[in-house]
Amino acid sequence: MSESSGNGGKWLDAHYDPVAGLFTFSPCVDLADLSGDGESRLVVGDLGSGSTGMKLKVFRGTALLSESTLLDLPAGLVAFFMDLHEPRIPAVAVASGPCVYVYKNLRPYFKFTLPGLEVNSLEQDVWQQAREGQIDPLTLKEMLESIRKKADVPLSMRSLRFLSLETDDMDDFVQLHKQQPIRRQTVITCIGTLKKSTADDDGVSCLVIGTESSDVYVLDPEAFVILSKMSLPAAPTMMDVTGQFDVEFRITVACRDGNIYVLRRELDKPKYCIKLSSHPVGLVRVGKNVMVGCTDESLQGFTQKGKKLWRTVLAAPITTMAAMDLPTRGFQAVLVGLANCEVQLYRDKNLLSTIKTPDVVTSICFGRYGREDGTLIMTTKGGGLMVKILKRTAVFDDRDGAPGPPLAQSVRLNVPKKTKLYVDQTLRERENGLAMHRAFQMDLSRMRLTAAKAYVKALESSLAPVSSSISEPLKMNAVVQGLGPSFKLTLNVQNTAACRPATNLAISFLYDEGLYRMRNPYMRIPLLVPGLVYPVETSVECTSDKGISDIIKVFVLHEGRSCPLLTAHINMPVSEGEMLN
Amino acid sequence: MGLFDKLAGWLGLKKEVNVLCLGLDNSGKTTIINKLKPCNAQAQDIVPTIGFSIEKFKTSSLSFTVFDMSGQGRYRNLWEHYYKEGQAIIFVIDSADKLRMVVAKEELDTLLNHPDIKHRRIPILFFANKMDVRDALSSVKVSQLLCLENIKDKPWHICATDALKGEGLPEGVDWLQDQIKTIRT
Repeated sequence: MSESSGNGGKWLDAHYDPVAGLFTFSPCVDLADLSGDGESRLVVGDLGSGSTGMKLKVFRGTALLSESTLLDLPAGLVAFFMDLHEPRIPAVAVASGPCVYVYKNLRPYFKFTLPGLEVNSLEQDVWQQAREGQIDPLTLKEMLESIRKKADVPLSMRSLRFLSLETDDMDDFVQLHKQQPIRRQTVITCIGTLKKSTADDDGVSCLVIGTESSDVYVLDPEAFVILSKMSLPAAPTMMDVTGQFDVEFRITVACRDGNIYVLRRELDKPKYCIKLSSHPVGLVRVGKNVMVGCTDESLQGFTQKGKKLWRTVLAAPITTMAAMDLPTRGFQAVLVGLANCEVQLYRDKNLLSTIKTPDVVTSICFGRYGREDGTLIMTTKGGGLMVKILKRTAVFDDRDGAPGPPLAQSVRLNVPKKTKLYVDQTLRERENGLAMHRAFQMDLSRMRLTAAKAYVKALESSLAPVSSSISEPLKMNAVVQGLGPSFKLTLNVQNTAACRPATNLAISFLYDEGLYRMRNPYMRIPLLVPGLVYPVETSVECTSDKGISDIIKVFVLHEGRSCPLLTAHINMPVSEGEMLN
Repeated sequence: MGLFDKLAGWLGLKKEVNVLCLGLDNSGKTTIINKLKPCNAQAQDIVPTIGFSIEKFKTSSLSFTVFDMSGQGRYRNLWEHYYKEGQAIIFVIDSADKLRMVVAKEELDTLLNHPDIKHRRIPILFFANKMDVRDALSSVKVSQLLCLENIKDKPWHICATDALKGEGLPEGVDWLQDQIKTIRT
């Protein structure tokens, strides 16, 4: 069978190329029908080696369809509909540096550059002087350093670069750059799309851009003008956008200060703030909730107003996260790539399934690829590309190995209603608690006293079957055997003294002579060695046929003393033999 | 061939055979069926099938009733309801879609393990379609990927086809006709 062991039988391994040479992360991967033929392509912004070889790659099926060189490292990539032309072919926007490059039909179409930031006037003056040759590079460096320390407006990129140079290179750098005016640019950190006015799948979308200068811009898709600008307390790193620009929208942004902010329409400041215990590494919206993966190896769920719902601890650090949305089955979950070569699927805090991968996954994208709706695309740390297809018959069970409280815990017990009596009693107990406690304590003391008295009396008159006297400590128990009318009575007598034998003892019985007849109601006991049990047997015959029984008292006596050493009361069983006859 | 069959043949009455046409979406099932119909009955535009459609065509000795099932994921659960009626299966594969070969295999395995199919000696004809596409897989490669050699208890045959031009189709249909005849007699 084509299913591999690590998939839990839910995924088909469609393609795995461990040497695809694809180095990217989740924000730079998207799926879109770029040719309008109903087959989705995979669009990837490849980071290359990090300094060279940045490319925009498009895959169709298992093959690379096209690639074009990118000028700078891509920070994010989205496919979006920018116009209403037929056929509906989406454009691809690649954010890199301060620009958004828009590709249509995989050809460069438009470049949007973020507006420049305010430049420090002192810095401008200093460069002006350098241009006119009034100051040499060393003086320039000193002046720029003093500006950097004092000024509230940061230096431009050019000045910062200049300050990091060695003395030898300074002159050339000044000569090369002094003619150009100073510009201060910010860079894009994240990009997303926001539907303009309709929620349709192929509706026109605005681009939403987060920048290093802690701003969020919403761009018009056709004219590429800034429709809205919002400010955040820190630089955004990840964002999720939902809603429509003209109606109502919500931008959830994870920022570099470890907080998550929620921006709303017609507010240029965040509406809600979620403070996290550690920095976020993944942000995915599932339905109306936001799921955040944190550096402390945890996955947390929040409502869209920032209320924490749950937190679950993961087995390894998170490498990437992506949403898994299957509208045809009404299934929404989140895929979490872990550093221990696993991809786990969570619905809320329940782990649904785990996919084992041969390498650490760095980017995950789930959606329609080719003609298959449930396709999972992953790229690995080693540059591999993996495509898995969800089986048509796959079912995800919520309780799939998820530890949690047993089902019985949530079953309601059938507790009866409180009766009037119960309520009255409770009230009475509450009001008269002290008196009741006292009465109870007094009765308890009395009972203990009565019990102690009875015990002392029993000991004094040797009524107990155990004698603890110092001269003759004895113990006796009696066993009655038989159904009647003849019974066998066995008395086990034991001397419990440490080393002294007991002598001159006798056993005597006291019984109702109208009921029982005994062969020898007086027996002498031989010398009792300490510790051994001596069985003394005798037979009792019941003479009554009325089915009644009585007590037989056994006394152990010492010769020459009238007081018994111990007494045992034997409750005789009813003679059944007589009744049977 | 009994006397009655011969008689029926002379009279122009042909035996009816129910055939299921299965395969993933966009593999060319409807195009193939359309090409097998007489020239004057062929449709010009082929659109994705919704649910299924019933088509009829005749060969030299048999009259085929084909259940042209939709291959789209959401309609694939309809297939199994027609397994009982089918006396033969045509399974169409898009040879150019390497990515979804596993999906085709999965659907084929599900089909072969279905109780209505598993214990029947039902002939299966595979059409490795879209041979005209530049990097299409060969029919040998397709049968390897689908592990067709594991089908031991059913007669099967794979043909490389190009449904747009109709290449390879007669060969497959001839094989199917022979199989049905041998099973019947």
